[in-house]
Amino acid sequence: MHLAAQILLNGILLGGLYGLMALGMGLVWGVLNIVNLAHGAFIMLGGYAVYYCYAGLGIDPFAALPIAMVGLFCLGYLVQRFVLSLIARAALLSTLLVTFGIDVVLTYLALFAFSADFRTINPSYAGDHFDLGGLTVPLAQLGAFATALVLAGGLRMFLARTRTGRAIRATAQNLTAARLHGINPRRIYPLSFGIGTALAGAAGGLYGVVSQVTPYMGNTLTAKSFVIAILGGLDRPLGVIAGGVALGIAEATTDIYLDPTYRNAIGFGMLVGILVLRPTRLFERA
Amino acid sequence: MRCTLVALALVSCHRDPAGSEDAPIQLGAALQITGPLANTGRYYRDGYQIAVEQINAKGGITVAGHKRQLALKLLDSQSDVNLGVRQYVQLLSQDKVDFLLGPFSSNDALNDSSVAEKYEVPMVQGGGASSQIFSRGYRYVFGTLPPADNYFDSTLKMMLKLPPRPPKTAALVCADDSFDVSVAQGTRKLLAAAGIELVVDKQYPEHTPEFSSILSLIKSKPPDIILWSGHEPQALNFLRQAKSLGVDANLATSYTVGVPAADFRTALGKDAELAFGMTPWIPSKDLKDDWFGDGDSFAAAYEQKFGYAPDYHAASAVADVEVFAKAIEAAGSLARARVRDAIAGVDFHSLYGRVKFGATGQIALPELVVQIQSGQVVPIYADDFINKPVYPVPAWDKR
Repeated sequence: MHLAAQILLNGILLGGLYGLMALGMGLVWGVLNIVNLAHGAFIMLGGYAVYYCYAGLGIDPFAALPIAMVGLFCLGYLVQRFVLSLIARAALLSTLLVTFGIDVVLTYLALFAFSADFRTINPSYAGDHFDLGGLTVPLAQLGAFATALVLAGGLRMFLARTRTGRAIRATAQNLTAARLHGINPRRIYPLSFGIGTALAGAAGGLYGVVSQVTPYMGNTLTAKSFVIAILGGLDRPLGVIAGGVALGIAEATTDIYLDPTYRNAIGFGMLVGILVLRPTRLFERA
Repeated sequence: MRCTLVALALVSCHRDPAGSEDAPIQLGAALQITGPLANTGRYYRDGYQIAVEQINAKGGITVAGHKRQLALKLLDSQSDVNLGVRQYVQLLSQDKVDFLLGPFSSNDALNDSSVAEKYEVPMVQGGGASSQIFSRGYRYVFGTLPPADNYFDSTLKMMLKLPPRPPKTAALVCADDSFDVSVAQGTRKLLAAAGIELVVDKQYPEHTPEFSSILSLIKSKPPDIILWSGHEPQALNFLRQAKSLGVDANLATSYTVGVPAADFRTALGKDAELAFGMTPWIPSKDLKDDWFGDGDSFAAAYEQKFGYAPDYHAASAVADVEVFAKAIEAAGSLARARVRDAIAGVDFHSLYGRVKFGATGQIALPELVVQIQSGQVVPIYADDFINKPVYPVPAWDKR
């Protein structure tokens, strides 16, 4: 019983970070209708940004998250403005090809710039934990979970309460009607993509604290984000976090009660399950 | 028609460089220069390169009275096993290399060595330790890493001798790739023979970053020792997550990989302290070498050239090239069957240790037990104690 509770807690904490990873992907998918295969590469760049802030400048990784987010926002904004805008409203295959290309370019540039060495963001408290009713709560994982919740809540407020946020949702819901109301998608698209990559940047920094940063970390994280974005729904930030938590719990329990080698099968099995039960989920927009 | 024949003759000359008595002898390999295994793949790229350069600088190899240089043809398999296999076929069918060096990792070596066997071209590889590679009756495949089944042998022998008491229970955590499956199978037998009960025995997906559930399971029935096997990035995550979940073995934790590598210690800082590991090689003046002088001079030359310290992967890679140098000279010919027989018969001392292949084609070096003490990799135990270990290893919250 005690072990089961601990496994559940591990899954929830990990799932929060998974959710944050998928948040940006879901937003970009919902608004721009682009399945961004370079999403994991942006997570990786966020990891390196936070790593160098911490290792080079001595900035605490949690304090470095906003720096990484601003950097990644600018990068994402420029990538959408000058590359992805060329394929706006193109067929799905074109967007997949272009974002796959961006992923390859970013990954190999990172290998060139940062080498294949793995980096850990390892502040003194990274290995700390405390006991809560007999359960071990790892501090860094808890911090990552809390940050994910704050960012998802912030995104939800932004989309619901601000004029720009509502414009983003309007663009996602009905482009023609949004344009008739004076919303300029040329402004909204790069902004949304930038927010998506900024969130990826934050996720990358946190991932470096609980795991490690390498040029190749992106691919599996893109796949996970894809599954979670569908589980959680593209337009509901807190739903995406819940999707992440669902996947985290599924993986953690699979490790113990089934076999760890089935972990990926369970994740993608959940995806297939969702698509069978609610086949319209893939195409649901905000 | 005549033009075509001339062109064909030219092409065939071009494609058979070793055919000429002055042309360099081509050694080919498909390595993980990029992709998730690039971090370890680079040891092989750099090891092969420095060995070929050093052998050439010392005058090359004498084949039937003629001095010949070595040349390398390296392809990037991008850490993709299937691409690697295709590239080995390409090396033989298009690039026409004379002999084959191996890739990193047992999974790759397992598949790539089938190409060598099919084409009957000797492959000496220092990246695959799994016994699966050597249990298929292949004649053209040789390995310079010791058998994976026995990796924990010296560690367990050491632990059985150490106070306060011999270990009674163990947790075994191994990945699902070829190397680690061999490690797990061999270690289960070693544990049974030592009378140590296996309380947790878990296999995990090779590239997983996540161990928290397995660690919580281990914490729920704390074993005397934790034996972990996999790739280096996973070792790093396992160790960090063990600390963050406060998971300790009663006596010690040992890792098949990671501990001897410099970037493992760099990435972990003081968290790497007191981890037990193993290596078939550490630099030493006592390891005499025909080309590099000794193990220490090799390590210094390697670090100066590439900017990072070599570990056993790099030394094993150098030994692979040296095996060809010795065998080709002994064969006095580039005929593949003769070189193959010469490789089977080599017996020489190198910077890597004594190189001599057993009946299955695999070397039998002992694994030296090492422990990280004050940031240094300290050799602890081979057949007997070399240095004093810190044992039992204190729990995370008592360090």
